[in-house]
Amino acid sequence: MPTRRLSEFVQALRGAGLRISPDEASQAMDAAALVGYARRQRFHDALAVTLVKQQQDRLAFEETFARFFEAEDSRSDSPQQSDSSMPQPAGDLSSAQTAEQQQAEALLASTPEQLQQQMAEAAAEMDFTQMEVITQQGLYTRRLLMNMGMGAVDDRVLQLDQGTPREQARAEQLRQWRTRVREQAAGQVRRQFLLHGVGKGRALREQTLRAVPFRDLREFRDVQTLVRKMARRLASLHQRRTKTSRRGMLDARRTMVASIRHDGVPAKLFWRRRPPRKTRVMVICDVSSSVSDAARFLLQFLYAMNDVLPRVRSFAFASRFDEITDDFARYSPEVAVGQVLDRLSGSGTDYAEMFRAFQARCERELDAHTTVIILGDARNNYLPDGAETLQAIRRRVKQVWWLNPESRGRWNSGDAVMDRYLPHCRLARQCATLNDLERVVDSLLGALD
Amino acid sequence: MKTRIDSVEEITRSFAGQGYICSEQIALAIYLAAQLHKPVLVEGPPGVGKTELAKAAAAFLEAPLIRLQCYEGLDESRALYEWKYGKQLLYTQLLRDKLGGMLADTDSLEASMERLGDLGEAFYSDTFLEPRPLLHALRSDEPAVLLIDEIDKADQEFEAFLLELLSDFQISIPELGTVKAKHQPLVLLTSNDQRELSDALKRRCLHLYIPYPAAELEAQIVATRVPDLDARLREQLVAFIQHLREQDMKKLPAISETLDWARALVLLHADSLEHAQVADTLNLVLKTEQDVTLARELLPAWLRKLGKR
Repeated sequence: MPTRRLSEFVQALRGAGLRISPDEASQAMDAAALVGYARRQRFHDALAVTLVKQQQDRLAFEETFARFFEAEDSRSDSPQQSDSSMPQPAGDLSSAQTAEQQQAEALLASTPEQLQQQMAEAAAEMDFTQMEVITQQGLYTRRLLMNMGMGAVDDRVLQLDQGTPREQARAEQLRQWRTRVREQAAGQVRRQFLLHGVGKGRALREQTLRAVPFRDLREFRDVQTLVRKMARRLASLHQRRTKTSRRGMLDARRTMVASIRHDGVPAKLFWRRRPPRKTRVMVICDVSSSVSDAARFLLQFLYAMNDVLPRVRSFAFASRFDEITDDFARYSPEVAVGQVLDRLSGSGTDYAEMFRAFQARCERELDAHTTVIILGDARNNYLPDGAETLQAIRRRVKQVWWLNPESRGRWNSGDAVMDRYLPHCRLARQCATLNDLERVVDSLLGALD
Repeated sequence: MKTRIDSVEEITRSFAGQGYICSEQIALAIYLAAQLHKPVLVEGPPGVGKTELAKAAAAFLEAPLIRLQCYEGLDESRALYEWKYGKQLLYTQLLRDKLGGMLADTDSLEASMERLGDLGEAFYSDTFLEPRPLLHALRSDEPAVLLIDEIDKADQEFEAFLLELLSDFQISIPELGTVKAKHQPLVLLTSNDQRELSDALKRRCLHLYIPYPAAELEAQIVATRVPDLDARLREQLVAFIQHLREQDMKKLPAISETLDWARALVLLHADSLEHAQVADTLNLVLKTEQDVTLARELLPAWLRKLGKR
């Protein structure tokens, strides 16, 4: 197998979401050269060992491998099958006069095998790796046909159309032949798109998903995967930060004791380690219909970050207020969110009541290490706002954050009373898209250190 | 060290000879690592034989095994080298008079400094260098197998420190300059996935994931390691362990635990899992009370199902 095929395969893997460096790609080629291509399973294993660096990528690798090398197999098998599928030759060299016409007739006269061969050669000259969206297929099909020299055939058809009835009949015949070739070419391009374009499209789609408001996001299936991916990235980023920030002051006592061995020379220094942080995060989510979509993603995000945020307690309220930590302890975030919404959702939020209920339940646990995050639109149905309770809560904790899914301009419109709460919040942000959410959680982790 | 490896099969055979039965992927990873001179990062649940693999590889390659166990707070002075401060101090004390004599005939401070300057090198030489596992592996007179065990337990900084070793098989020591490996060692890193390793590290390594073995492979392993176990009981035992792994357990039983259990059953002269004492030995396989209780409930039902078949 030529190196080119392998690098195309690497390209396809990148499209499927794997991160492969040039160095790894060249390792894969060395490995493939070493084990040979004859034994499929071993070839597969060698590529897996060099290219798949985390178990999460395994499935994507298997799928891409199957798709890619299946296409490979069918291509090498195709001469036998092609007799029926490839258009029959329709050559008529006798009537050709110019060089162009001769080129067209030569193409028409080629056998199905030759045609297949020509198409493969033309395809090999093209760079399909730039295909991004499915609508580009037409463009690429046209380019492929041009590369095969079908332009000459088009001219020939036009020319014959002008001629005698016999020539017009021949033109009709050619047009049918051309349609069939075009279908073949479209098939070829579609296969290439599946290999390369799907991945590019995914990256594009990911960008879009990150910027779409939460309420429209629920429709998309792969958004869960995206949330998990974003959470994982943030988690690994902050893991590093906690480790480095743990270094403390010089531990004079231990350093002195150790220096006795060396006649009082402090040859080795010891450092105090800061005790592990005891931060606690309490999240209160409004799950009334207007905000529930944002709540769903906030909770999923926070629980996907279990590694770096081990002590999250969550509460939800709409018409009622309740703790939902256990739902998340017991079920996967996706399931838990669904359950909570079923149990508690409703309309008629009363923020004052929620603050009171929260205070009654958790007052004893609020301390200087606690961060309270409130997600809600502050629409209080013209009821008393209860800002004084929020102030009391704020006095006992490290900080209160408010995330509002609505844009800043609407924070005080209608029955929203955001400005009553703002003085008690260290930070208030709009949180309407995954991008917003990522930024919030990022600064949350920074603030906790 | 063996320099020529003919084929993957040769590795599989040799491993089997040592009682380490492995799938073809594992042998292939070792083959590629030895041929391409790349480190291998071995991941997988605890107890599937990651450390054993390094031992088997060392025995196969007829190379010494140098092991570095990682833990939180592991630093260069434990992993790479340390100066013998005590010895250095002792020497300066003992040599004090000699130094005085040596410097006696110099007339200016600068001249004394210069003479001392020549001496300085002597105090940072091999005599005072305490090599730790990594330096051992680099300076070993024959190629070695270097096992960096449980890399996920070490700090992120240590991981970064390893990068130079893994890609170029060399390490920079400020006082001595760069130490290049005399012979490239075969490096195996193991990880239990306690934390995510950095991309930079993963990029430099081949990656091998060892899952729990399939029933057939596990039966083979038990047969090799515990030959005294009755064949019928072996089938039963392996099938039951496989069944347990499909359950929602706190800690899934690994191969090492299967082997412990098999040995215990041989000692008890059990001939089938229906044996009265079998349920009492379940705590060899499962390590938490909850899991043991669950397994005790499962066992009779599972045996009944087996009986029907």
